[in-house]
Amino acid sequence: MYIAIGIVVVLILVVIGLYNSLIVKKNAVDNAFFSMDVMLKKRHDLIPMLVDTVKGYMQHEKELLSRLTALRQQFDAPRLPVNEQVKLENQFNTLLQQVRVQVEQYPDLKASENFLKLQGAINEAEEQLAASRRFYNAAVNDYHNGIMTFPSSVIASMAGMGRKDYFAAAAEDKAVPEITFK
Amino acid sequence: MQTSEAFRSFYEQELASLLTPLEEHRKKIKKGAVLGLVLLGISVLFFIIASSSKLSTPAIIAFILFLAAIITLVNYAMRLKKFTRTFKTEIVSRIMHFVDPSLRYSPEQYISETDYLKSGLFVEKPDRYKGDDYVEGLHGKTTFVFSELHTERRVSSGKNTHYQTIFKGLFFIADFNKHFSGRTYVWSERNPQINFLTKLFSSFAWNLEKVKLESKEFEDRFIVYSTDQVESRYILSPSFMERAVRLQRLMGDGVSLSFIDTNIYVAVPIREELFEPSVFSANDFSRLDDFRTTLVIVYDIMDELKLNDRLWTKE
Repeated sequence: MYIAIGIVVVLILVVIGLYNSLIVKKNAVDNAFFSMDVMLKKRHDLIPMLVDTVKGYMQHEKELLSRLTALRQQFDAPRLPVNEQVKLENQFNTLLQQVRVQVEQYPDLKASENFLKLQGAINEAEEQLAASRRFYNAAVNDYHNGIMTFPSSVIASMAGMGRKDYFAAAAEDKAVPEITFK
Repeated sequence: MQTSEAFRSFYEQELASLLTPLEEHRKKIKKGAVLGLVLLGISVLFFIIASSSKLSTPAIIAFILFLAAIITLVNYAMRLKKFTRTFKTEIVSRIMHFVDPSLRYSPEQYISETDYLKSGLFVEKPDRYKGDDYVEGLHGKTTFVFSELHTERRVSSGKNTHYQTIFKGLFFIADFNKHFSGRTYVWSERNPQINFLTKLFSSFAWNLEKVKLESKEFEDRFIVYSTDQVESRYILSPSFMERAVRLQRLMGDGVSLSFIDTNIYVAVPIREELFEPSVFSANDFSRLDDFRTTLVIVYDIMDELKLNDRLWTKE
């Protein structure tokens, strides 16, 4: 009799332990998403400044710049699901990349101190964003390991814990060449 | 960076003439050491004879020889110290200047224990702390210092006490090319200090979290703890991880790094003495070229980690 009670108590404790560890992992994902959101916002906030700085020089790229501004405004909407955000981010990166390519045509702009500073700030923000995105993906991976491996997978399915989306980097983001300046 | 060929002509033009009197001096010191050891050997022989003889003469001879051996060896040690000092100011400092004229070399100074402990690369406080060959420099935009360090712990077993090495090698501190406010430790996976207890202690006492990174090769070689998950990834970008792996391949498995107060700390275990003249063999070109190579290693570390790559980040 006592043995049976003992086993039940141990089982309950194990279940509580597993459930709590899943909750910790889930919260880690939310935290990571929050910190990534801050970095995304930080980068988005630099865009109006970028557009202001370059529009005087880039007379022929008005359409490109207005598309960038329009896309930037979509991020002001309340928090979007991760996969929606990834899609928007990727479009945004493509546009930003196009702006960068076009800048090459305007030597005056390239040499302007304001632009250089801004470019530096955007680059810095992108490095921080890459870091927080990697942290978010690591947290999601850890959470997935929790909900998909036995025995915690049983508790996860009972508690209705589902998969979360990874924040995938855009193709051109991954292919950024390393530039060396000596 | 100056090549071995350039160094050879520098050696022939400047160092060779300075080395001639030093080599004479070295040979004399070597003779002193040999004499001391021979005297010690004969005195041991006489002690053995004295122990099986009833006469007191062998014992007296053994004692006198022993005393003479001790005096000769003490004299040797004092002359060696003086020789090393002269050698370093005359020769090593010139090699440093040849490699990089901006280097400032202090043969008898070393990186402070405070900095060593602050790096967090070696968790325990050493019982014996030694070092020499302190060098300060500026490479591109990166200021750096390094020195040789040898730290030990006291181990007592019964009545016997001896010292065990914690770290011996090159300890390097440089200004890192990115801003950060937290602390990140990249310990070598093969560092025996990083055992279960240390990990537990670090997590609680230093408020550290384990950082799991994507690169399998990097994860096999290093174990990362940090106060800030995002910042550690900001420092350890994918390309930086690749470079750290290359650095370990170049310098050996024990290489560890840490990032604190906008500085990068690197510990490179090296068994041999750095920048020390030899007494029993000639300090010839190949030996001096080894000194140059050691210096080049420091520049390789900075270049490998791209500490000068500061286009958009820290000026």
